[in-house]
Amino acid sequence: MIDIRNLSRRGFLNMTAAGGAAALMSGTLARQAFAAPLAAVKEEDAIIGFGHVGPVTDEGWTWAHHQGVLAVKEKYPKLKKILEVENVPYSADATRTYRQFVSEGANMIFDTSSTGDFLHDVVKRSPKVAFMECDGRTDMPNLGWYYLAHWYPTYVIGVAAGMMSKTGKLGYVASFPVPSVFSGTNAFLMGARSVNPKATLQTIVINSWFDPQAAAQAGTALIDNGCDFLFGIMDEAAYLQVAEKRGVWAAMWNTDIRRYGPNSYVSSVVIDFKDFYVDQVGQRLAGKWSPSQTILAMGKGVDRDKWGEKVPAEVAKAADAVRDKILGGWSPFTGEIKDAKGNVKVPAGKTMSEVELYHWDWSIEGVSGLSA
Amino acid sequence: MAYRIQRLPSSTPLIAFAARVIAVVLALLVTALILVITGHNPFELAGEVLSSSLFDSFGLQDLGVIFMPLMLTGLSVAIGQQIGAWNIGAEGQFYAGAFAATAIGLFIPAPDWLSLILMGVGGFAAGAIWILVPTLAKAYADVSELISTLLLNFVAALLVYYVATGPWHDRMTNSATPKVAAEIPEFWGAIHWGFPIAILIAIVLALVLSNTKWGYEVRLSGSNPSAAKYAGIPVRRHLIMVMLLSGAIAGFAGMLEVAGTVHRLQGGISNNYGYIGIMVAVLARGSLIGVIFTGAFMAFIQNSGIILQTQGLTTSAVLAMTGLILFLTAIGEELSYYRITRDKV
Repeated sequence: MIDIRNLSRRGFLNMTAAGGAAALMSGTLARQAFAAPLAAVKEEDAIIGFGHVGPVTDEGWTWAHHQGVLAVKEKYPKLKKILEVENVPYSADATRTYRQFVSEGANMIFDTSSTGDFLHDVVKRSPKVAFMECDGRTDMPNLGWYYLAHWYPTYVIGVAAGMMSKTGKLGYVASFPVPSVFSGTNAFLMGARSVNPKATLQTIVINSWFDPQAAAQAGTALIDNGCDFLFGIMDEAAYLQVAEKRGVWAAMWNTDIRRYGPNSYVSSVVIDFKDFYVDQVGQRLAGKWSPSQTILAMGKGVDRDKWGEKVPAEVAKAADAVRDKILGGWSPFTGEIKDAKGNVKVPAGKTMSEVELYHWDWSIEGVSGLSA
Repeated sequence: MAYRIQRLPSSTPLIAFAARVIAVVLALLVTALILVITGHNPFELAGEVLSSSLFDSFGLQDLGVIFMPLMLTGLSVAIGQQIGAWNIGAEGQFYAGAFAATAIGLFIPAPDWLSLILMGVGGFAAGAIWILVPTLAKAYADVSELISTLLLNFVAALLVYYVATGPWHDRMTNSATPKVAAEIPEFWGAIHWGFPIAILIAIVLALVLSNTKWGYEVRLSGSNPSAAKYAGIPVRRHLIMVMLLSGAIAGFAGMLEVAGTVHRLQGGISNNYGYIGIMVAVLARGSLIGVIFTGAFMAFIQNSGIILQTQGLTTSAVLAMTGLILFLTAIGEELSYYRITRDKV
């Protein structure tokens, strides 16, 4: 786990896109937070709330977070209550749900799929409640955020894609042009280009995290355009099924869903929040919680899945060698890196920091279909 | 001795009120029964609902936040009923108002106070414009407003969805527009000044309808159009005006939602307020003052939905409960016109 809490505030804030005034403000707020942590709560009295973007049965993102909830339940069986709400939309309904958590006496609330200012509105008005926002980008005295360094396993899967694709044309089914998608597409293509410098990546944005029909259409269109390796960031398996039918490779996100396309399945960016949630709840109960910014590292919350049945052994071996290298401290995200317009964005020799990778909002050369 | 069922030409307010209360109680009982069957304890759940909505400051604020748009869409439907027009399109007009308010807030640079006034005017105007075609079609070609207003709801919803995820979308938050800078100030927690304004609109309209010549003519045109025409009342002109007003109020509700609560435009921003507004109006029996109370009641039901979700129930449970209330109210409404008499032999 990389806890970047210890990074100097100034250094951290300089890296973020936040403007001067905003940076100054959130800096001040953060000092208050560390001065007065929330008091300890007895396990029997504690109420923990979780709000999810989808249903816990989605076999994807929400399912993985739900496993974390179950882990908390197992570790702290005496908790007074765990509140869990599915399908929290990105709308004023999210505000209502989180306010309701507070009304029911929640001591700590996790927003497992960033609802942004709909959550922050509640955070502001509930100074005695600890909030954690997954994929959040805002610091407040009682709000921290967490995410995972998915760009590393994505790079590893990219290496496999570069070796396995015959056409050198890779496809990506994207949700929205957000940082997760920029870092995902960029890392994927960089991995592929490390073995096939001519590889390109075509992206289709479908404006949803969960829309099997649109994802299947996008997958079909990408294959029609000559892509023979699909990747994406979906909470379900639709484009894997398309790949299986059309006989091309596919890599997925969240969980092992190879049974939807056993012949096409290459790997998945698998996620695991169990330890993190148990640790956070433990800190809150002990009165030691303060808002932190955490990016779970590869091997500690995010990783590539066990390779698919049809992945050639030499591909798995080569990709895993890269994985070991990254685990050993090497970063593939080292300059020179150019954006899609050819401007040098990361000078030669400079390595992108975790926070820069987290906030990545431009496409590298070779990625098409994402408007930056 | 024989019993006879008699249909009365009109029901008394007391019986109509009783019919609604019985309908609501029955709906709650049926819901409780379903909860028991599915293994929940309805008393525990009811206790949780009451304590965290009526006896909690956050809960009360939530009620208020849901109440504002609901009462206004209810008012929009109820005002149409005065002249015999069923505005099923409050949902669409709500979207139109939210759309216009967001456009003004995002693209017309102005100080906040001016921006809010422009957004308010824009909300009214957009709601009226959205109902303009159904209004003219009804006034001049006798096209049923039930269908025309309903169909425009889908157009408005899709239009908003398109701009919020397309041309106006915000890079970071992906499924909504950027934040609209001008916000209606709040006076108690999340409750903003739209709250008293909404109630004021209802009271003023109720007074105008009951105390002015215009109001009298509108009510007469609604209850008996041919008699009104015969009496020389410009029924068509009143119809057009009342329907436009109905649309404008729903549009204003959309503006309040953007400027007061959500601060962004996004697909689904209406939260079905337009449709639930129909229920608010039906429960209020078309009374503009009654809408304030039934609006509060429906806000309570909607808010209960969120509470029940945190207790492990699905949203559909609440949707079903809302439907039950409407269903039973409709039956009760019809039954309130009947009485059972005993024949004297």
